[in-house]
Amino acid sequence: MGAVLVTGISCKKKFLDEQLITTKSLQDLKTAIGLDDLSIGMYQNLKFNFNYEWSYASTNYGVDEFCVGGDRTMQMWNSYDGNLNSLTGDVATIFNAMYANINSANIMIENVPLYYGDNPNKNTRLGEGYFMRGFDYFKLVKQYGGVPLKLSQTTTLLTDFVRATAQETFNQVIQDFTEAYNLLPVTPAETGRVTKYAAAHFLAKTYLTRASELYNDWNAGTRANDLDSAIKYADIVINSGKHALAPNFADLWNFTAPDGANEKLSEIILAAQFSNNTSTQGRYGNQIHLHYPSVYQNLPGMVRDLPGDREFQRLRSTDYAMDVFDRINDSRFWKSFKTRYICNNPTGAPKWDTSNALTPAQVGQFRFTAGQESILYIVNNAGDTRYTAIAPKIPTSIRFRAPHMFVRYFAGQPENMLGGHGNFEVSRYVGLSKFQDGSRNAVASQFGQRDGILARLAETYLIAAEAYGRKGQYAQALPYLNAVRDRAAYKAGEDRSAYVDGGVAYKTNVAATGTLFSYSDKNTYYESNNDLSVTTASTLSAMHLNSVADIFNSSTQFYTKLGVGSDAEKFVAFILNERSRELMGELMRWEDLARTKTLVKRCLTFNDEARPIENKHYLRPLPQSFLDANYKDGRPLTSAEKAAMQNPNW
Amino acid sequence: MRIKSIKSWAVALALLLISPILLPISAQAQEAPGAVTGVVHDANNKPVAGVTVVVRNTKTNYSAGTDTDTSGVFTFSRLPAGGPYSFSISAIGYQAQTLSGYTLKAASSLSIVVELKETSTNLDAVVVVGYGTQKKGTVTSSIVSVSAEEIRSRPVANALQAMQGKAAGVDITSNERPGSVGSIRIRGERSFEGTNGASNEPLYVVDGVPLNFGGVDAVNPNDIETIDILKDASATAIYGSRGANGVVLITTKRGKNGAMSINYVGTLTMEKQYDRMKMMNAGEYVEFRRNAYRRVKFLNAAAPANSTYPDQPTLADDQRILGQDAIAFANIRKGWANGTWQPELVPTTDWTDYALQTGITQDHTISVSGGSQNVKAYGSFGFMNNEGTQKGQDYRRYSGKFSVDLTPAKWFSMGGSVSTTYGLQNYGFATTNATGPGNIYAALQGMLPYAVPYDSTGKRILLPGGDINISNPVDENNYNINLRRTLRVLGSVYAEAKILPGLRYRVNFGPDFQSYYNGRWMDANSINRGGGNPGSTNYAQLNQTSNLSWTLDNLVYYDKTIRGNHTHDFGVTLLQSALYNKSESSSMTATKLPLPNQKWYALNAVSALDGFSTGLSENSLTSYMARVNYAFDQKYLLTAFVRWDGASVLADGNKWDMFPSISLGWRLDKEKFLQNVRWINQLKIRGGIATVGNAAVTPYTTLGAVQGLYYTYGASAQLGYVPSDPTAANPVSYPDQNLGWEHTTQTNIGIDFSFFKGRLSGAIDIYKTKTTDLLLNRQINAVNGYNGILTNIGATSGKGIDFSLTSINVRTRDFSWSSTLNMSANREKIELLSNGKLDDLNNLWFIGQRIKVYYDYEKAGIWQNTKEDLDEMAKYKLNGQTFNAGDIKVVDQNGDHKIDAVNDRVIRGHAQPNLVTGLTNDITYKNWGLSIFIFSRTGFTIATGAESLQGRFAQRELNYWTPTNPTNDYPSPNYNSAAGDIYRNAMNYQDGSFIKIRNITLSYNMRSDAAKKLHMQNLKLYVQALNPGLIYSKVGWIDPDLGGNTFNRGLVVGVNATF
Repeated sequence: MGAVLVTGISCKKKFLDEQLITTKSLQDLKTAIGLDDLSIGMYQNLKFNFNYEWSYASTNYGVDEFCVGGDRTMQMWNSYDGNLNSLTGDVATIFNAMYANINSANIMIENVPLYYGDNPNKNTRLGEGYFMRGFDYFKLVKQYGGVPLKLSQTTTLLTDFVRATAQETFNQVIQDFTEAYNLLPVTPAETGRVTKYAAAHFLAKTYLTRASELYNDWNAGTRANDLDSAIKYADIVINSGKHALAPNFADLWNFTAPDGANEKLSEIILAAQFSNNTSTQGRYGNQIHLHYPSVYQNLPGMVRDLPGDREFQRLRSTDYAMDVFDRINDSRFWKSFKTRYICNNPTGAPKWDTSNALTPAQVGQFRFTAGQESILYIVNNAGDTRYTAIAPKIPTSIRFRAPHMFVRYFAGQPENMLGGHGNFEVSRYVGLSKFQDGSRNAVASQFGQRDGILARLAETYLIAAEAYGRKGQYAQALPYLNAVRDRAAYKAGEDRSAYVDGGVAYKTNVAATGTLFSYSDKNTYYESNNDLSVTTASTLSAMHLNSVADIFNSSTQFYTKLGVGSDAEKFVAFILNERSRELMGELMRWEDLARTKTLVKRCLTFNDEARPIENKHYLRPLPQSFLDANYKDGRPLTSAEKAAMQNPNW
Repeated sequence: MRIKSIKSWAVALALLLISPILLPISAQAQEAPGAVTGVVHDANNKPVAGVTVVVRNTKTNYSAGTDTDTSGVFTFSRLPAGGPYSFSISAIGYQAQTLSGYTLKAASSLSIVVELKETSTNLDAVVVVGYGTQKKGTVTSSIVSVSAEEIRSRPVANALQAMQGKAAGVDITSNERPGSVGSIRIRGERSFEGTNGASNEPLYVVDGVPLNFGGVDAVNPNDIETIDILKDASATAIYGSRGANGVVLITTKRGKNGAMSINYVGTLTMEKQYDRMKMMNAGEYVEFRRNAYRRVKFLNAAAPANSTYPDQPTLADDQRILGQDAIAFANIRKGWANGTWQPELVPTTDWTDYALQTGITQDHTISVSGGSQNVKAYGSFGFMNNEGTQKGQDYRRYSGKFSVDLTPAKWFSMGGSVSTTYGLQNYGFATTNATGPGNIYAALQGMLPYAVPYDSTGKRILLPGGDINISNPVDENNYNINLRRTLRVLGSVYAEAKILPGLRYRVNFGPDFQSYYNGRWMDANSINRGGGNPGSTNYAQLNQTSNLSWTLDNLVYYDKTIRGNHTHDFGVTLLQSALYNKSESSSMTATKLPLPNQKWYALNAVSALDGFSTGLSENSLTSYMARVNYAFDQKYLLTAFVRWDGASVLADGNKWDMFPSISLGWRLDKEKFLQNVRWINQLKIRGGIATVGNAAVTPYTTLGAVQGLYYTYGASAQLGYVPSDPTAANPVSYPDQNLGWEHTTQTNIGIDFSFFKGRLSGAIDIYKTKTTDLLLNRQINAVNGYNGILTNIGATSGKGIDFSLTSINVRTRDFSWSSTLNMSANREKIELLSNGKLDDLNNLWFIGQRIKVYYDYEKAGIWQNTKEDLDEMAKYKLNGQTFNAGDIKVVDQNGDHKIDAVNDRVIRGHAQPNLVTGLTNDITYKNWGLSIFIFSRTGFTIATGAESLQGRFAQRELNYWTPTNPTNDYPSPNYNSAAGDIYRNAMNYQDGSFIKIRNITLSYNMRSDAAKKLHMQNLKLYVQALNPGLIYSKVGWIDPDLGGNTFNRGLVVGVNATF
């Protein structure tokens, strides 16, 4: 019996052959179908920018717009304290993720000419390869400075890498984006694929970045041309006919359902695509929605719900984030921040007692009940005399108001851009609401389903405007600025107290059971603005810049605080402010402040904790894991060589 | 009650002098007594002195005892007439005998002659060696056996526990979750274990069938007859590639010739969980949080008042930093009841009390055994119900075994066995957050001490204390069900034919099937799902894995003995073997199920699943082996073999390799020059060298599989692939197209000995190991686009010594005391790495160091507000590094006043112990037995102790720095730093050395005549104390044996009866 089995089974060579039938292999990437698959796979890297804590920590912490809220998990990225160093985990996470996708892109760039044949998508695939490589090196150079340029696919493992200079890295980014621009189609085959205009937008942004102050040591020779190129490519996008600003700034954030109208706006040039297809959503989803909200669920009368979102309270808005807006005329503030909540837990609502009831009859009654406003954030200015914390027993004392009141300035408190006024605290602040996600499949779910915008036309306008300004052609910058600012103005007839954020998607979400929700479709516009009389007039004229004097003579742009005097400096300050107003919290700020070398000054002026150091914190440290794995002449680097390769002062 | 004689090889003489004093004169004769004289001699007709003789009248229960003198003579001069008398004769080194049926007439005398036979000592015992058995005396390699008697000496829940401390060189850890087993390491570690690297787990072979997917817990320990552990390569190489980490051979019980017997083993265990870690009470915690806030001002004098805390506490400031939850704050107000702060007035909630219960375990096994020359059979049924010490955790196991051996003709035999176990484990609550607590106890330990779990109406407070990151796990055991069900069927069939004298052919077929099922249900009320808040949804998951494998062995044996002037024993074994293993898995998850009681049983109740997947993995192995055993006069022994293995998981061209082994033995005790050395009973020197391989590689590793992932364009989900995605949970490694075998060559020299008629016996083994072509899952330079590669690189070496000694310290008729000491020391070190003799800092591998070391900054203390320290801090400040009093001071290794990762990290310790010691003391007095097992691991480092000390979360008691408490233990808390001190990890390395009493067992063995009255052949009762406690440990807050802060302690009551 055994002898039969011997010959029957074991002597066949096949018995030891492995057959992989559940997935594809590297060999498949040498076919047209495999390269199509690789193209899909590469897009995953766009989602990386929204996946997890590294997303905001490396881009929106340690800046003027936001500081640390009640959860301090990632505070080292804001304070720049010693916990931010070459061993900090996410320093390597970002670095490694970029190089993994660069390898994919290199395979695409090398294999398409060899194996793709005359497939009509040949240019698109190749263009996608160049775009991704340019996109990833752009991220690397912004975060780390010059990095090793690996431009061919990994077929044998290499150990000896040398850093390219920042200049060489920029050259590569521009070369790749240019190739992508030449190859990519004007219309995407599918929603979310990169186009010629996405390449143009990033090309413009790269040129503008390279012409910024951080690179002044070596960019003199390219600066003028770069600014022209930034304008050229920005104009190509603006005039493409494919992209237009959404009529209302709120349209961008009015997320009613996954892949709803706001995700199809032509203003969006490129967005990382997230979906409600839970079985394919991967490991993270878009988690940015978690990080901005302030805490509401532990206030009496409130309970956490889907539209209110989970409050990871990582990013607390600074006074700058509020004061950079003309909050009477610029609708963007009220369309970016949440200021009002509705009671969704009436049995837990607070009751009046003798210490706070204005009339004896109120004592023992609920202060508010289901559907009534329960939390108000009053975004007022110093000098507002209406509010006091406790006594006297008058209705404006917030103690005697029915809802929980959080007021920025009490009567008599002087202006302070570093907080310490009113009753805002680390967990009670005006939360940025651009990313709220009421579509999630459970209130506890971190898996956000909203697309993550990587490029939209408003930024393209601001790129062109900045390039003109940097050329000293301030007047030419105005039309671009006005395109964005005019859209930001209240339209005639517009209800300024109306409010919408992505929490509203709860209305189409089957997981949102029950009838009581914290979501409010109103804001505190009128009360915050000193009880301004209700108006529906247009604010276009207040927003519109009629001449460059409106920029240079403005008293609301912190020129004095920032110590800027010349027109050129004022212009950069203004454009950075305008970028805040338009792009607040959209994961670009640290890179903007670093490239313009305004990081240190703006942090000291506007962020209560961030203390970046000149000549150090404009770059992240190279990951220690890279330095420790890197070789020279077949041996690991010496300590001195590692120190020399590391960014200065890390 | 009379001690007639006491003999110890060490104190024999002294005690012999006293023993006559103790001779009783107790025979109260009714009539004239008789006398009995006897002489005891051995097989060579030489008299044997010091033999204990007990005479007993079974009718009257009269008994007396005496010893033989130097002439081998014993005398009972005044025995009462009557009978029947029986004489029990026992002596160390000889088989005990009982002569019965003597009747003594009044005033008469009787003479008895007794011939004693030497007992078969450990060298004559049969051990399992892989593809056969051998007498221990002829074994030439290092094998430890755990006998049936040892296994049954105390109750255990699984086979691993049965081995704990019984075998030198075998280090077994414990796992206290019901249904989970610990880990085992034989002679330390030699492979770099990683997610994809070679494993350090040994191979388990049950009745000749290798287990292809772990799971020694699938065998009911009561069905185990013996366990033999092959330690050195010259033994394990018989399993070729699979023997690299040692082999555990488990022989289960089978039917024996003789009448049918029924055996029942039952135990009842009561356990409770204890905690070495003490959490801060409410008053201490309040002060701790205040100090964390005070630190903000200490570091930044300009900090706004609402971000810090004043030196003198105030109610208003407490309200600000602790007042988020009004109910919890009411407790803190109690501390202010008299106007000033009185921390002792603040109640502390005993949170963990909500998790604990007394765990009660019952374990019953009933077995039947018996047979004739032609048919032997064994059957057993076992049931175990193990209730955990934490709510929601339990384990039930049903096991059945049936074996039959048929011998229809002298030349042919056939048989088989089937073991089935069915385990149901309720895993209990675990958070879904990857970094969250893994059980309800740990979750509750994270609650703030001043907060309370329920409000006045009895409703659960979701956020006790008001922090949104501290959710209340009370009652989570009711909202989470995690059922893990394992069905394992292990078969073994053989047929053997004697073809010619000495020539046998045997075929073994071992099918092994396992079905694993994991159903997880989380109710919408679970804090994992939103705690019942609006938008909370329930969740159900069903994961199933089925493994099927089989092993087929064709074996030819030829044994020949040539007698003449000398005896030549030959044995030849030829093997051809094939193994196939297939694993299939599936997984489904869904949320928003309409009915809570549907759990995971009706996933079709939702319109679309949230996730689904299936998977397949296959691997195979083919082997050939030839072995020769030769013995010259049973004195000079040789075992040599060679095995060829082919593994599917390795790269084409590298699948096959050869593993040779040779070992020699010399029975010194058989030599003439030692024949007359009477204190030497057994003495054997043996030595061997062999190479084993390791191919514990995940299938398809070398094929360059790409990573599948989805992207949704708009709403269109499409499957794409990338070479590797480092943000995935398990990123694909770079495929090594040349991946081949890892080789370990081991040289072993050992001595087996038995002295003083077996009073002192044991073994010493010294070994050296060299492992090359290490299967290494190595972190690589990320610029390549991959995070790692599994490859053959580098070399390690190891050396060690295993020592086991059993000493019968005292042995008398009624009292005996024996000790068994097992010690093993093992040091491995890295010899070569990917680039020769150069350290690989990225993987924390260092030439000349142990495999797993800790590499970090070295803590020197805490910076203090002294002039000396302030001057030092100023020097760092010049280099851009700011330190403050209360921060951790680390050693500036290169003295440049700059702490940096490049120059100032050093090796802080290693994870594997230098020395593992097990000491068992067995004491018997008459029918009573007491056994104490002490276990120790010394010379290793445990990574524990780093604390972030933010002041936000619950905290264990520790001595932290404040301006008024300038300690060097722990730094100042700081509310502004969630991550804690920059160098907090420097606090993380503790000396893990410990000595622990693992158990104490007291047993009562009923005398067979008494048992017979109860219609039993045998009855044993025992009580065991589990984990009485640590005798020595340097770390105060964890149990270094278990690695965590909690441990179970309990009592087992057991019965073992044979009918």
